Amino acid sequence: MEHLITGFQDVLTPGILVWVAVGVTLGYVLGALPGLGKATGVAVAIPLTLYLEPVAALGMLIGIAKGSAAGSAVSAILLNTPGEPSSAPTALDGYPLARQGKAQKALKMGLFASVIGDFVSTMILIGLAAPLASYALLIGPVELCAILLFSLTFVGGLSGGSLTKGLIAAAFGVFFATVGLEPETFIPRMTFGLLELEDGIALVPMAIGMLAVAEMTLQAGNMRALDVEAARISEGARREDRVVLASEWRRCVPVIARGTLIGSAVGILPGLGASVGSFLSYGATRRASATPEKYGTGMIEGVAAAESADNAVVPSSLVPLFALGIPGSVIAAILIAAFILHGLTPGPLMFKQQPRLVADVYASMICASLIMLVIGYTGQRIFAQVIKVPLRLIIPGVLLLCSVGAYLETGSVFSIYVMLFFALIGFFARKLDFSFVTFLIGFVIGPSLELTFRQSIQILDHDVANLPGHPIAIVFVFLTIATAVWTARSNGRLAAARARRTTKPCISKREGR
Amino acid sequence: MTHSTRRGVLGAAVALALGCTGLAAPAAAEDYPDGPITMLVGYAAGGQTDLVARATAKVMSEQLGVPINVVNKPGAGGAVAARELQKAKPDGYTVLFHANTVVNTAPFIMERVDFKPDDFEYAGMITAYQVGLVTQKGAPYDTLEEFVAWAKQNPGFSYGSLSPASRMYMEQIAKKEGLDVNIVPLKGGGDMINAILGHQVVLALSGGIHNKYPDEMKMVTALTSFRHPSDPDVLTIEENGYALGMDSRTTLILPKGTPRPVLEKLAGALKAAETDEGFKKIVAAANIPIMYLDVDQSAKEMADSYAKNKGIMESVGIVAK
Repeated sequence: MEHLITGFQDVLTPGILVWVAVGVTLGYVLGALPGLGKATGVAVAIPLTLYLEPVAALGMLIGIAKGSAAGSAVSAILLNTPGEPSSAPTALDGYPLARQGKAQKALKMGLFASVIGDFVSTMILIGLAAPLASYALLIGPVELCAILLFSLTFVGGLSGGSLTKGLIAAAFGVFFATVGLEPETFIPRMTFGLLELEDGIALVPMAIGMLAVAEMTLQAGNMRALDVEAARISEGARREDRVVLASEWRRCVPVIARGTLIGSAVGILPGLGASVGSFLSYGATRRASATPEKYGTGMIEGVAAAESADNAVVPSSLVPLFALGIPGSVIAAILIAAFILHGLTPGPLMFKQQPRLVADVYASMICASLIMLVIGYTGQRIFAQVIKVPLRLIIPGVLLLCSVGAYLETGSVFSIYVMLFFALIGFFARKLDFSFVTFLIGFVIGPSLELTFRQSIQILDHDVANLPGHPIAIVFVFLTIATAVWTARSNGRLAAARARRTTKPCISKREGR
Repeated sequence: MTHSTRRGVLGAAVALALGCTGLAAPAAAEDYPDGPITMLVGYAAGGQTDLVARATAKVMSEQLGVPINVVNKPGAGGAVAARELQKAKPDGYTVLFHANTVVNTAPFIMERVDFKPDDFEYAGMITAYQVGLVTQKGAPYDTLEEFVAWAKQNPGFSYGSLSPASRMYMEQIAKKEGLDVNIVPLKGGGDMINAILGHQVVLALSGGIHNKYPDEMKMVTALTSFRHPSDPDVLTIEENGYALGMDSRTTLILPKGTPRPVLEKLAGALKAAETDEGFKKIVAAANIPIMYLDVDQSAKEMADSYAKNKGIMESVGIVAK
């Protein structure tokens, strides 16, 4: 504890605080720009970290990670083009809200949920890194495989309209994820002899194409109607459309609490990632709601659920890094390099050898949370104006940013081809009403599911009878079965509700209850 | 200065446009370098090789007096970056900093990769990878011999494999000793640490990262032909009676046809890293030993290790896929 106070004394100096603020701002702006994101920010920051002092460098990298997770909500809400795949569920309700003239409300809720999720998760990291990490080690491939299976089933129900179409989309996601080296024998699968495909289809260009380029193409086709609509949006005319009302806070607090919890848990576990966290949280919130059919039409809870979990993943994914030296996420792997650059080795020894540096990093993480609130609050007033800009000015800019973002990830034109390919798929998925959300989840979870399943077969010595040695896995297998049954039943109800709604259009009153 | 820098940029642009058609006249070696150098790295930013590359770039940039821009071109274990390098003009302004495995191992594993040592020039090697088989600190065996004895008593044990080569090691040991092993596929070093610390596997291949966990892990055998500077008492795989030792080192690779004086100049700048305090601090923190080899030594090392690895892969029946 006294270390933490020294930590704040070290961090609350202009020399350090400026770099943390630079990191958060850079992350937030890059996250808010469609097509760019964490990957871009980190690429910019890595060379810089060689020349900064350790705390400043680490503070900046953490700032980028936190800022981009929060910023990605902005483009999701305003343009329906999530800055990061993990913000895709934010767009599901955020964009309808924006089209109803409630952009500021959605942005504010997104930011508050982000900051709360991030802050609480940071506290969990500081207080419980060591005990949680050793507990996370109990989660081996067998347990992870069961958890992934559960996540896939749970999120699979998100497809909305038709369960069959949702499952088809998810299967396509899994299919595209199988491209690349097969994990056990290293035989290339469906690479068509292209070396660039040997490591699989990269997530960033795929997601940019699927989420941003496809959406922009679609909006371009619908430009006139959208512009007419935008002109009619009397943005910010009424106070209750600009701020988060007390009644909405009451509904969202449990949602944010659940999102934070889900996000923190997902972050600690290896191989899940922010997208799984935000999708799980969104799905859980929709499930728990009394009116699940209204999700996707502008429910503020949807934004709160997705963003709180999305941001809670970032700090908690550092738990295995700080406690054990295991990188739990991309940003954690880069932080390891930054630590080593400055002559430090992350892991349990770090607490003994460098308690002051650890405290400094913790203090800078807390500062980053608060800076994020300030930057986000100021920034979104500016960003919210975007909604009034005619689409013919927005689309070319977004497409340029998308190309830059896709290119920067690997530094090769091949990524742009990947982006365009998936833009095409995304376009038709939207036109034919296939859920690109379940596609994305299939793509993200697919490879981990395959790997952990194969690992499990080996670890269980090819014998199901060895499964009772893994009680956590058994629990999740039962949860999976329960979810499957539940999904089938509630989807039936949902379909019935939808059928009623189409026959009685008067229910289309705006969200409220 | 401004003029010459611009010429360098123009030259690079022309080289890009022409590809490696060899139309452009070779740059005057005595002026080299008079513009920024691009250093390709075949792994993503943030990994161990990238870390060493950036630290090396910093030292070499100070030595040569020109900026060195590190560009990550990840893919297929470095083969994508090596292909990119082959397209560059052989003037020393585009270099690849990578593990030499991309030339001396990858062709035997990946069908699409057909590099030979003669396809490139080498301007020196700087660090070595301390590859070995590792286990939990508390495991009841300390050497490979003791492990084999334990494994015979415990059929169906799990071994963590990260690459075709790491599969090959365990398959060879199991074949010779008649062991019953389950080979668990792992993705990367982080996954390996998880599997060892979480007791999911009893033995795994480590590319050197185990040195960061002296209280949790120990090495039972080195898989290199030399004993590791970090574990001088642990026997190598060859000392254990298997002719399977394969070495990998970070190497400065250049396009075929780069003039000798350019290579010498780069090697001289690379050698400075050997004694640079900042560089030593960085690699020491990651437990990476510095083993500098000059132009001739690295060319010989490349040819020798290529021939040796080829022999090993052929003798155990590994076919490139």
